[in-house]
Amino acid sequence: MRSPFFPRFFLLFFAMVGLGTAGEVGFNRDVRPILSDKCFFCHGPDAKKREADLRLDVREAALQQEAFVPGKPDESELIARILSTDKTEHMPPAKSKLAALTPEEINTLKQWIAQGAKYEAHWAFIPLSPLALEDPAASPIDLAVAKGLASRGLQFQPEADRTTLIRRVSFDLTGLPPTPEEVDSFLGDPASNAYERLVDRLLKSERYGERMAVDWLDISRYADSFGYQVDRERDVWPWRDWVIGAFNKNLPFDQFITWQLAGDLLPNPTDDQMLATMFNRLHQQEAEGGSVEEEYRVEYVCDRVQTFATAFLGLTFECARCHDHKFDPIAQKEYYQFFSMFQNIDEAGLYSFFTTSPPTPSFGLIDAPTKERLAALDQKVGELEKQATALRAVKERPFTGWLETRSGQPGIPGELARFGFDTVENGKLANSIRADQPATLRGENKLSPGVNGNAIEFTGDDPVDLALGNFKRNEPFSVSLRLKTPDLKERAVVFHRSRAWTDAASRGYELLIEEGKLKWSLIHFWPGNAISIRAKAPVQLDQWTQVTVTYDGSSRADGLRIYIDGKIAPVEVIRDGLTKEITGGGGDNIALGERFRDRGFKGGMIDDFRVFNRDLTAIEALATYEEAAANALFSKPTADLSAADRAALFDYYLAAADPDWALQMAALKETRGEWMKIQDGAREMMVMRELPEPKKAYVLLRGQYDQHTEEVHAGTPAALSPFPDGAPKNRLGLAQWLTDRRHPLTARVTVNRFWQGIFGRGLVKTAEDFGSQGARPLYPELLDWLALHFIESGWDTKGLIKTIVMSRTYRQRSIADGKTMADDPDNEWLARGPRFRLSAEMIRDNALAAAGLLSASLGGAPVNPYEMSEAFKPAAPSGGDGVYRRSIYTNWRRTGPPPAMVAFDAPRRAVCAAKRERTDSPLQALILLNGTQYVEAARVLGEKLHREAKGDVNAMIEQGFMRCLSRKPDERERTIVRQLYTEQLAYFSAKPSEAAELLKTGNAKHDAAIPPDAAAAATVLAQALMNHDACIVKR
Amino acid sequence: MNIPLISSQSASRNPFNRREFLGRFGMGLGAIALADMLPGDASAASDHGVLGAPHFAPKAKRIIYLFMSGGPSQLDLFDYKPLLKERNGEQLPDSIRGSQRLTGMSGNQASIPLVGSPFKFSQHGKSGAWFSDQLPHTAAIADDICVVRSMFSEAINHGPGVTFLQTGSQIPGRPSIGSWLSYGLGQENANLPAFVVLITKNKGGQPLGAHLWGSGFLPARHQAVLLRAAKDPVLYLGNPAGVSDTSRRLMLDRLRELHEHQLQETPDVEIQSRIDQYEMAFRMQTSVPEVADLSGESAEVLDSYGADVRTPGTFAANCLQARRLAEKGVRFIQLYHQDWDHHGGLPSALPAICKETDQPAAALIKDLKQRGMLEDTLVVWGGEFGRTNYCQGKISTNFGRDHHPRCFSIWMAGGGIKPGSVFGETDEFGYNVVSDGVHVHDFHATLLHLLGIDHERLTYKFQGRRYRLTDVEGKLVKGILA
Repeated sequence: MRSPFFPRFFLLFFAMVGLGTAGEVGFNRDVRPILSDKCFFCHGPDAKKREADLRLDVREAALQQEAFVPGKPDESELIARILSTDKTEHMPPAKSKLAALTPEEINTLKQWIAQGAKYEAHWAFIPLSPLALEDPAASPIDLAVAKGLASRGLQFQPEADRTTLIRRVSFDLTGLPPTPEEVDSFLGDPASNAYERLVDRLLKSERYGERMAVDWLDISRYADSFGYQVDRERDVWPWRDWVIGAFNKNLPFDQFITWQLAGDLLPNPTDDQMLATMFNRLHQQEAEGGSVEEEYRVEYVCDRVQTFATAFLGLTFECARCHDHKFDPIAQKEYYQFFSMFQNIDEAGLYSFFTTSPPTPSFGLIDAPTKERLAALDQKVGELEKQATALRAVKERPFTGWLETRSGQPGIPGELARFGFDTVENGKLANSIRADQPATLRGENKLSPGVNGNAIEFTGDDPVDLALGNFKRNEPFSVSLRLKTPDLKERAVVFHRSRAWTDAASRGYELLIEEGKLKWSLIHFWPGNAISIRAKAPVQLDQWTQVTVTYDGSSRADGLRIYIDGKIAPVEVIRDGLTKEITGGGGDNIALGERFRDRGFKGGMIDDFRVFNRDLTAIEALATYEEAAANALFSKPTADLSAADRAALFDYYLAAADPDWALQMAALKETRGEWMKIQDGAREMMVMRELPEPKKAYVLLRGQYDQHTEEVHAGTPAALSPFPDGAPKNRLGLAQWLTDRRHPLTARVTVNRFWQGIFGRGLVKTAEDFGSQGARPLYPELLDWLALHFIESGWDTKGLIKTIVMSRTYRQRSIADGKTMADDPDNEWLARGPRFRLSAEMIRDNALAAAGLLSASLGGAPVNPYEMSEAFKPAAPSGGDGVYRRSIYTNWRRTGPPPAMVAFDAPRRAVCAAKRERTDSPLQALILLNGTQYVEAARVLGEKLHREAKGDVNAMIEQGFMRCLSRKPDERERTIVRQLYTEQLAYFSAKPSEAAELLKTGNAKHDAAIPPDAAAAATVLAQALMNHDACIVKR
Repeated sequence: MNIPLISSQSASRNPFNRREFLGRFGMGLGAIALADMLPGDASAASDHGVLGAPHFAPKAKRIIYLFMSGGPSQLDLFDYKPLLKERNGEQLPDSIRGSQRLTGMSGNQASIPLVGSPFKFSQHGKSGAWFSDQLPHTAAIADDICVVRSMFSEAINHGPGVTFLQTGSQIPGRPSIGSWLSYGLGQENANLPAFVVLITKNKGGQPLGAHLWGSGFLPARHQAVLLRAAKDPVLYLGNPAGVSDTSRRLMLDRLRELHEHQLQETPDVEIQSRIDQYEMAFRMQTSVPEVADLSGESAEVLDSYGADVRTPGTFAANCLQARRLAEKGVRFIQLYHQDWDHHGGLPSALPAICKETDQPAAALIKDLKQRGMLEDTLVVWGGEFGRTNYCQGKISTNFGRDHHPRCFSIWMAGGGIKPGSVFGETDEFGYNVVSDGVHVHDFHATLLHLLGIDHERLTYKFQGRRYRLTDVEGKLVKGILA
């Protein structure tokens, strides 16, 4: 692709921007780019890979190794090595595969050494410096640019004409073209501040938020699906609507940052502040069967760090995941300091394949009336619980009477199933409570002598399936069994009611042996939405243990109990937050000894398995262990009862013999049921919720998830501004650090991106990299002024945007004389206004707006425009106005993104993208010419033009230009388009069936009042205008 | 996709050619930059990519990559292990398994019994390479191919596994092999994209995703064009219903006039690009259907690919399509055939999928050879990893095998590959590589080498770093070179 002329051009350019204009060599401007690109890889910040113990990014270190002699380039080793023809001496060495330095680069280095080899701190890390204002009345933007232009012998272009200007600024502020009426009104506005009034009107439009949000969605790698292989759709669009609203309300940008990074850590966070934190959870997530959970969890945290660093620091932090950064002063350890702040949430590395629950942590998005109902029910549950406590006191007396009259043996009511596992018949194991619900022995599991008769001995790969057990979380229930384990199980499933482990996020309930100890849990989504307790003592090996586990229907960890050999077991609480259902996901009945892709109870035995629909009391638990002991206690004379005996009997009395208590419990169960039903119905949004104790963080060797080395704690890089005093060492402190006015990067990076959105390229061209390898700004003082101004304005985004678009720099004509344009094809010097092809979203929205088809509704669930039926994962187009909604609402499925949008360079949203490429390809022309969306829009526009002009071709052309190009046609254009229309009309008049076919494209009805041949010709006329360069390029 | 913005036809049809255009606006020296932006002289037909020319003389000009998605079982196709049959049902010895991580699918199994292949193996060709009886056609071209039995990967699952093979990274988002080639070498035929993807229609199995042929951080024009077995082989290629070529041509002529008029009014190179873009699109409307149309192929050729070839979208039809694209100068032709993921039911499922793929793949080699194209066309057949020597779940007559990245087999042919050879060896359990291991990065380095590219020197600077297909690894596999 390089023409032979390229070097010459480069030379010229170099002469213009480089040494030609400045006698003094600047380290940051001239030298650092060379050293960074050619030397730092081996002689830079990365200590581990440093060659010859030489680092060139720090002057003292370079001097110590005698890399150069200041003032004496000819005696400097650095120069000698670069000039050396000896292959073993020459730098950069052949193995680096880097091209040799050019004579100009060598000359620069020589001059730099000759001038004393002075270093400068990297420009982007230096604090913001105020601009010396020479003319307080003028826009500082224009002052800075004018100065730059003057130094190059250039000047501003005249202001663009009003038709160009309104089209330009309308796209920039709202992403939409002006209507013909808006154009007319602006052209006819005699006020001297007509343009400012236009800008103010656009900034007030709700369309502004939609336009601004698009760029933020690229940064946030926003997508409506999880990505990776399974790529299931997910419900995240309320966050997108929050972003649109935040721009429209002009939420100060420092708060915009803080809410997203750490909304959950603000005092009494609002729903919006919680929702905003979803920013950190929008990365891709995995559910492919068999994946290693920790591997992906680490990947997620790394993605958060990378997104944070690109979005706010403009630094390529991900380079430091595996080793110290090669070019910037970022140690690997510092990467993991950030990592430690972004991992403190109760999450799993895999989302659930078998359920649709969003991965934890999440929070329920509940509307106000529902919130009220929920609060009322919550209160009612609390009252019923209080009443129960009161009732206990009242029942002391009748209990005393009962104590005297009790007789016989304590029965255990509510037993649903009992299995002795003594014989197997046709694979079935008898249930002595309900003969019609036997259990099924699967696979190689076998009967072996147990406690009484036989027991099941498990292979670990086969279950015993029961035919019951689908309890809801408001229903008390208990299970008792005897078990024997041959070895200390790191993990083993004793029994469970669930479809799977990680593949269903363990939805259901389960008794496991974990690290040798019994663990009893009810789970909606492990680990973030569950209650779980674990016995403190390990299970005895190779001997029978009797276990009873109970649950009281409260959704609280204190409603769980484990009894071992009839005695309550001391436990620790592992999780205590269950806010959603435990049913669903499949695997509706209890299974013993095995679970899908989990570790089974290999070599373990189970006997005497019983299921109850009650929260068994202590004496009943004792009875399941040793009936005689329970009987003895039950029949103990009142006088001999210990306090503990009495308490156990009291519980039993209430549970089994007191009708008032039964009524109270029934009421509680019912009210809890209502309360939980509302909770279950709430939409859950993935958010951040800080764990009380930070997880341990380590430097990971080569960035690998399982290679822990040195432990690290929260912190920020030493090369950047200090952490604010007193700020907490968590994400909130991190947000405070970022938005502290001393921070050198946040504001620079942010204003640069806004500038890029308007001018098509940032003042720093590499919006994603403000580091040593990034581009240096041509107007550093302008960047600093904008950044400081932004901070001082209270991070007023609309204000900043207005300041930019009010400037003369912005309002210039975008076309200059040929020489100016050719000398600076990318308009780095800003000697003309912005001009570039519209973004994917704008191109489509523009066509819909021109045709009058664009839906005005704001926000809501994603929709499928026509192109989704052509996507790699095809989806039927949405009904109603779904195909006419703005492109920001297009359903973004990562493995099958909207193909036309991608063809117009929309990023795929797999990772954070700080800028878009702009390419041209014939595929784009095919889309605009043949895509259903565009053909329909042309058809509707054509008919509209025809209708409004009552068939008058000249009027059609006039209006068509206004709608598509926001300007009137000139004579030549009128002639060409008239010819086009005449030709097409003649053609379609001769081919009525083709006209009829064309008029069927899309959902919109053909206007039967217009003759088909005229409508078809008008369609083609509109197509020509919609494919006109001036329709898809902002000028 | 990568299509030059100027081509001979459009330039000759222009009222003023590029040189006049530059002259007209007095763009002296500065116009040189412009010339650089508009690749190729008006008379040149091709775009040479960022490298301009390969680093050294290439052995292959193009690649056809037959990707067998899901992970074909090397133990039932290429890597003959009689020991597994002898020790069928015995547990995999710890000494062989080592500390290798298993997938969560079988990693928690209490029992991991070895399972022998139910298929018959025999040796073929001068190298004596082993093939199972499921690949009779491939066995018959043993003297043309090189079987690599020592491939290994790091990914244990499909998503990351396929992504690794196609982009050099397990995490989606990097440029795919084809987009690197488009970026590096450009395109040969101005009327066709440099990188085309064909996917067997209506196959189940593990899902693929568009990131596999995406361009990552490279410009979007380097991503693949998906050639579909549909009315429009390329997205919106055909005119809309009711628009004939005549009507369209008339409209485009007027549109060009409007653009030329605008260009006279405004010296903006973008307008020239726009004119060329539309002319190019118009030509693609002919060139793509032409290459997609198999009706001109002889009955003999069609029959050689098997009966499926007459059904659009089958692997057989795609193989023939690949040959036609190769003839037209498409640089990288990527086929996918899904559903090799035999966790269960392998003995019955494998024969079925071999029937779909064996004959067409072999026919493609013979067809290329007959046309003298095998010399400079590199063909690759392989999946994202292999399968375990032990059985997933319970051992039974219709057993399955889990994913196995430690070793797997692929074959390569043509374009600088040593024909009739076998490379690399695994242990007698078929579990570990014992000699000549080929890592994914090595494989990529070798592909690029065969196209004349030093894999360390095809780089793209993004976010301050020079990225390449092979990350920071990759060494040339000299043993498979002719």
